Amino acid sequence: MKVPVSLLIGVTLLGSPLPLGAQGKPVTVTGIRGVTFGVVLPGVALVIMRTDPANSGQLDIKGPNRGQVQLTFTLPSAMTGPAGAQMPLVFGSSDAGYSQSQAIGGQIGFDPKQPFTASLSNSGRASVFVGGTANPVANQRAGTYTATITLTVTLLP
Amino acid sequence: MRTASKLSLAVLALVITGAVTAQAQSNNASITATASVQTPINVTGAQQLNFNNAFPGVNKTVAASDLTNAGRFDVTGQASTPVTMAFTLPATLSSGGNTMPIDSYSGIHADNSAQTVGVVAFTPGASNGATLSAAGAMFVWVGARVTPATNQAAGVYTGSITLTVVY
Repeated sequence: MKVPVSLLIGVTLLGSPLPLGAQGKPVTVTGIRGVTFGVVLPGVALVIMRTDPANSGQLDIKGPNRGQVQLTFTLPSAMTGPAGAQMPLVFGSSDAGYSQSQAIGGQIGFDPKQPFTASLSNSGRASVFVGGTANPVANQRAGTYTATITLTVTLLP
Repeated sequence: MRTASKLSLAVLALVITGAVTAQAQSNNASITATASVQTPINVTGAQQLNFNNAFPGVNKTVAASDLTNAGRFDVTGQASTPVTMAFTLPATLSSGGNTMPIDSYSGIHADNSAQTVGVVAFTPGASNGATLSAAGAMFVWVGARVTPATNQAAGVYTGSITLTVVY
């Protein structure tokens, strides 16, 4: 009876996600800075570059050293303002940037509308920057508009 | 059998632990996108600058404080927001082929049309700063002085003053 049980344990150990657990660092994401369009005028589009150090959005990632991660954005198509007014929000094919060094000048651009795979740094860190374009219509209602951008980071085996 | 049961529990524990660890390998966070839309600026020519009768060789001034004869623009926009005014001012008035010089301009802006709240005097030019009232309004008056020549031809003389206001 003991022999089959021992074999069962051996199989379980090999089949469990022990390699991830052994690295000891769960992946975490922290929102550092929102995308700030500031004042926009009706009918005048406003672009925030992902390299804008003051107005681009930033999220920091921590995880296993040199861990492979997949980044997936959940992007809004509009910002919501007074009485539910909508202001279209557009993300271009290079409006997101990945920086293993976490320096805003060291980004690799990618399309935030598509999943993106990258490696964390030797110390298990990275930053993601995001920009976008606000497209207020000519009769855009005055007021403050907001939207939520979510980044999901999945640690790959 | 008892030993086997303990080992089976250990195996079960490992499986459960492994499942929890796998779920923890995904995480997310959110940031906010924000924008503030300003009320568009609207400028209306509300009253003409009117010198009425002028006589050859006699300068005539209409003060910006003259509520009846000074030119007036009404401005609306985002409440309590700084704006820049830019005037295009003619140097002469015209009547057919004749001209009459204007040698100076004056200006006043205020928060109300009675010139009793937030009154500021200024010299109209290419760039004049001001701030819209808490109600998002501004009233702008323009005065000037014409200097008819001693042999100024009789007639009705006109010119155009343009005000552009931007945030």
